[in-house]
Amino acid sequence: MAFTWKPPKGHEEWSTVYLVFNEWNFVITLILIATVMGVVQGTCAYLILAERKISAWAQDRVGPNRVGFDLGFDFFPFTMLKGLGGLGQPIADGIKFLLKEQVIPGGVDVLFYLIAPCLAVSTAFMAICVVPFGATASPPSLLDYRTDAQVRLATKPLASFTDDDRALLDQYRKEGPRGVVWPRSRSEEELLLKADAAHAKATGGKPYPERLKEFNNSVQFVIAPHVDIGVVFVMAIGSLGAYAIVLGGWSSNNKYSLLGSMRSSAQLISYEIPMGMSILGVMFVTGSLNVEQMIEFQHANGWNILFQPVACLLFITSIFAECNRVPFDLPEAEQELVGGYHTEYSGMKFALFFLGEYTHMITTSFLAVALFFGGWLLPGVTAPGWGGWTDAVVKLGVYGGKMLLFVIFYMYIRWTIPRFRFDQLMGLAWKVMMPLALLNLLVVFYVKHFELSSWLMLPLSLTMLIVATLLSLRMPKPPSKTDIGWRGHPVTGRMAMVAK
Amino acid sequence: MDFFLGTYYPVFMYLVVVIGFAIAAPLTAHLIAPRKVTPVKQMPYESGMDPIGDARMKFDVKFYLIAILFLVFDVELLFLYPWAATNQTTGSLIPSAFKDVVFWEIQAFLLTVVVAYIYAWRKGVFKWR
Repeated sequence: MAFTWKPPKGHEEWSTVYLVFNEWNFVITLILIATVMGVVQGTCAYLILAERKISAWAQDRVGPNRVGFDLGFDFFPFTMLKGLGGLGQPIADGIKFLLKEQVIPGGVDVLFYLIAPCLAVSTAFMAICVVPFGATASPPSLLDYRTDAQVRLATKPLASFTDDDRALLDQYRKEGPRGVVWPRSRSEEELLLKADAAHAKATGGKPYPERLKEFNNSVQFVIAPHVDIGVVFVMAIGSLGAYAIVLGGWSSNNKYSLLGSMRSSAQLISYEIPMGMSILGVMFVTGSLNVEQMIEFQHANGWNILFQPVACLLFITSIFAECNRVPFDLPEAEQELVGGYHTEYSGMKFALFFLGEYTHMITTSFLAVALFFGGWLLPGVTAPGWGGWTDAVVKLGVYGGKMLLFVIFYMYIRWTIPRFRFDQLMGLAWKVMMPLALLNLLVVFYVKHFELSSWLMLPLSLTMLIVATLLSLRMPKPPSKTDIGWRGHPVTGRMAMVAK
Repeated sequence: MDFFLGTYYPVFMYLVVVIGFAIAAPLTAHLIAPRKVTPVKQMPYESGMDPIGDARMKFDVKFYLIAILFLVFDVELLFLYPWAATNQTTGSLIPSAFKDVVFWEIQAFLLTVVVAYIYAWRKGVFKWR
């Protein structure tokens, strides 16, 4: 956002350190938060409609088509707003959720029962705050220059040190541990500015004031820009969601809920590990945890899916499990467990669980697109950096479009692959995906460490996948519960086909 | 860019807003929705049958084993994150002379993890029967 930066009163020397913290930014952040919460909730509501429509299409039904923007009221005068292919359905659903009776069954642990849906929705929403929806700009720093100089010094052999280098080294040593310095006074900042200008001239870059101006004129399409732990933050907050499910299931005093939550917690923590490992490969290649930097890296080096297809496959499988989507929707398998952990929830509390689930879907889709499919990059259309408002909107559109494609892929899979059995599910996570993820990680480590071509990762990881598949076919098969045998019927005595 | 907490203040602002929403939504519903308690409504749902016994029953010890294994491998992953994030960058904290040593140390570390993994497999932790 365009604003003129000024340091807080009485702290004029803080100009670089407190660059991203001032009153104006505070207001911008609030506006961003309101926008993101509104847009995400609206998107969730319409994704539910989309899900129902796609389900209907897959089953050759019509799907919701009655409620238009008249919200189903008979006395509504404008006939043109009726019907509309069910476009009013999410709004009507929302109102209904609000007006429904809030049943709290007897025997529940009231505190935990009430906390669980709040926790589910807040963890799902929190994860979004580091995901960049569009282009972001990195704030310039005088320290950039300093680290560069330090690196140059650190990598230079001691024998070829000039007097200037020695002086610089002494200066760093004086400045304290690791030589990282904040400009602590106006005079020191001026010194740094001078050094920065010289550095910029030498490298053909722009001096600090110009970089600052450029940054001030840019737009941040992320709630919390420049959070260095980006991906780990999403994973950490995402795993907190397991608490919501466990609390909801345990406090409900319902056997279905308890079974669902036990299954779910085991599933969530099992799939966390292959997910973390597949992210680790991308992280190793990029050298950063910051989602924005990961996208920018893919502009220069090609989308990660080209180099790490196996990691992408593992990641997508894991996020399906993390979101409790079909084929991994055992926690809420309707046919066995009624509603799983949210059997006893109704009205708004149920809506919060649902909202959390769909928000989680959106976040993980954004993350998958950012990690493996280039984020807001589209060859020939978008490039990193601030390219004006039109460019920003195009990036937003590209990113949103990719995310929506991914969510539709989620829904398509729901009607394509049947549900796993629980032992198969755990076996897939621990016996198949974990070794595969580890091997894939080793491929990335070795290729990058010995500075081989990145393209080598593609055939190596694919070969690894094929060899692992062939090996697994030769492994002794454990006796399956579904092996069919013959046995006399206990009552009639006739031979019948039974499960062994 | 070096770490400073100033970058993180939007996270905390967002946290406040999100928790506010998560509390306000059910609270509003509680205030405006009707509420009529009946004994049948209070019963836990068990497919229309009267519930038998308490729902807080014992569960399989395997869930516990899985939780322990998860801790082992997730902490192992957490050890790898800092190294993976800093190894490739030019401004790395790892001096170039040590990069080889650190790399092979990480391989040895991974080897111990693999040993633990094989041990768990042979002990039958991953068997769900």
